[in-house]
Amino acid sequence: MKRREFTGLAAAALAMGGLPLRGFADETCQSPYMPMITGHEEYIYVWTLGVEGMGDEQDKLVTVDVRPGSDTRGEVINSVSVGGRNEAHHGGFSADRRYFWAGGLDTNRIFIFDVHSDPSNPTLHKVIDTFVKDSGGVVGPHTFFALPGRMLITGLSNDDDHGGRTALVEYNDDGDFVATHWMPTEADMQGAVAVDGAVADGYGYDIRALIRKNIMLTSSFTGWSNYMMDFGQMLGDPEAMKRFGNTIVQWDLHTRQPRKVFNVPGAPLEIRFPWGANANYAFSTTALTSKLWLIYEDDTGEWQAKDVGDIGNPADVPLPVDISIAADDQTLWVNTFMDGMTRLFDVSDPHNPRMVYEKVIDRQVNMVSQSWDGERVYFTSSLLANWDKKGDDNAQYLKAYTWNGSELIDDFEIDFNALKLGRAHIMRFGSAALYA
Amino acid sequence: MRLNLIVPALVSVLVPAVFLVLAGWQFGWLGASSPAAPYASVFPPDESFQFDPPPAGSYDLPVIKQAPDGRVLDIDGQVRSLSGITGGKVSLVSFVYLTCGDVNGCPLAMSTLFDIYYASGEIPGLRDRLQLLTISFDPERDTVEAIDAFAYPIRNDGEADQRVPWQVLTTAGQTDLQPILDGYGQVVDRAPDQDSISHLLRIYLVDGRGQIRNVYGLGLIDPRLLMTDVETLLMQESGT
Repeated sequence: MKRREFTGLAAAALAMGGLPLRGFADETCQSPYMPMITGHEEYIYVWTLGVEGMGDEQDKLVTVDVRPGSDTRGEVINSVSVGGRNEAHHGGFSADRRYFWAGGLDTNRIFIFDVHSDPSNPTLHKVIDTFVKDSGGVVGPHTFFALPGRMLITGLSNDDDHGGRTALVEYNDDGDFVATHWMPTEADMQGAVAVDGAVADGYGYDIRALIRKNIMLTSSFTGWSNYMMDFGQMLGDPEAMKRFGNTIVQWDLHTRQPRKVFNVPGAPLEIRFPWGANANYAFSTTALTSKLWLIYEDDTGEWQAKDVGDIGNPADVPLPVDISIAADDQTLWVNTFMDGMTRLFDVSDPHNPRMVYEKVIDRQVNMVSQSWDGERVYFTSSLLANWDKKGDDNAQYLKAYTWNGSELIDDFEIDFNALKLGRAHIMRFGSAALYA
Repeated sequence: MRLNLIVPALVSVLVPAVFLVLAGWQFGWLGASSPAAPYASVFPPDESFQFDPPPAGSYDLPVIKQAPDGRVLDIDGQVRSLSGITGGKVSLVSFVYLTCGDVNGCPLAMSTLFDIYYASGEIPGLRDRLQLLTISFDPERDTVEAIDAFAYPIRNDGEADQRVPWQVLTTAGQTDLQPILDGYGQVVDRAPDQDSISHLLRIYLVDGRGQIRNVYGLGLIDPRLLMTDVETLLMQESGT
């Protein structure tokens, strides 16, 4: 596989003035507004769900040392608990990368951690307890996507019926509410156009943007009544299984106005844009139908969506979860929760992705993050407290691998059950070099 | 001559020269726009921004936060209140330092502001409703004398009375500066040697009531986009 040079685009994305360029290493799937780590990532922050009867039983931000040569490399070096369980889920840095915002899907609390004063030991800086009231009824703060001076947060649900109808919510960097943008619905399209018979469901999940095209995309999952239900019970409830999103919405990034609603059946989750200067597309995967989707600009300048391949055997419902695109846009890691497997797709031709590698990580797997150079790949385990597997299958971990271009080589592993930490969910990288 | 004397002398000579050259670049495309055309139409498209700005007034610019007040110094060395300067006009505010050499930092912000400054004469009445502010975050080197030298092409612009005012400001020191930076949310990291100052490039859109209505970073510093937002704010203020 040819890997093209990407130093130029990395330099373009480096927004810190006055700093010399060193080597690049960073996770590849964050807001492009954000400064990147120069050099090796030093810490991994893991937003972790507390478990009743385990340790302090609280949600916590766990810091793992990954500094090369450190005596504590591969170990938990700090942990800050937040005083309760909130269904900890996703989080993201502010655009200046000084604070890490993390949400609780059940309590709707948002925790803002200071990660710049001492990147090895984050502290809880502020808690937003008024998300539902501020936003006018949005429930389930999910993706935190940084914009200059503010944070754009996707909701998963609402406090009216606890279904999937939801909105995007903006706060400023001080943690004060700015605005709510409700997702388009069939009854209120807000000027958006439904493509190929799509029915705007108003659901939400992930959000990503392609700045130079002024394009923003959002995906659609399910509401509180499902994501807080026992997984087995939900699978056996035909009515509950109808309450999943089937759309991806294209927005005008600048105005936050919806433009198109695409039909993407089966709960499209993560969205990833590539970094290339001429790469005008994004990938997503569908949880229930196990498909890889491409949202792309066609030859006429119109954006379209199409299914470009299966992930495993869709009939087995492997449940695709997190994905991670390489910084050179040539490969895409795709995790599937039920079989605990990661798969690497060659996406050098985005219209014809091809699986080139697969490996079972453990009995269950959810999140994947990779370094900017693609040589280090990290995995964590938890999906949702009530959806994780039971008993011995409930493996909870952070696992680190080296990718040598053809296979994943074991590096280190941290057992979150044995350390009585809880369920390991989203990972984000930290480094003191950002604040020198 | 000692180094600490050479640098300000060079700055006082080179900076105006650089911006006089920048000014010259602008004249090639000025004069082609219609007074009734959208503000954005007086700027040529840039290949970095592969979209047309939305129609002015077709969207909202919610209040992000109140901009901070503070004490600043103008090019005459007069102590002025920041809120006194921004009150009553829409402002585009950027924090810069004169010796910044990063192409994606202050020079990009300054180039964009100069684009807007020179093009503003094409938009009738704009100078009464919009102003530009640059505030130094390097007050030790960007003294009143240094910013006065920087402002040379503006002070000596024969058409300045047709263009938007440009307030070139510094502060008496870090004690006055830091609360302003904190209030805006402008991140600045100083290296121990003070020679390099790392910062995130930001331009802030502030309305006439001193409220921040948009924040632009790398990837958004397109004069067409900034001026579309300015036009949107002015349309809202005038009820059109």
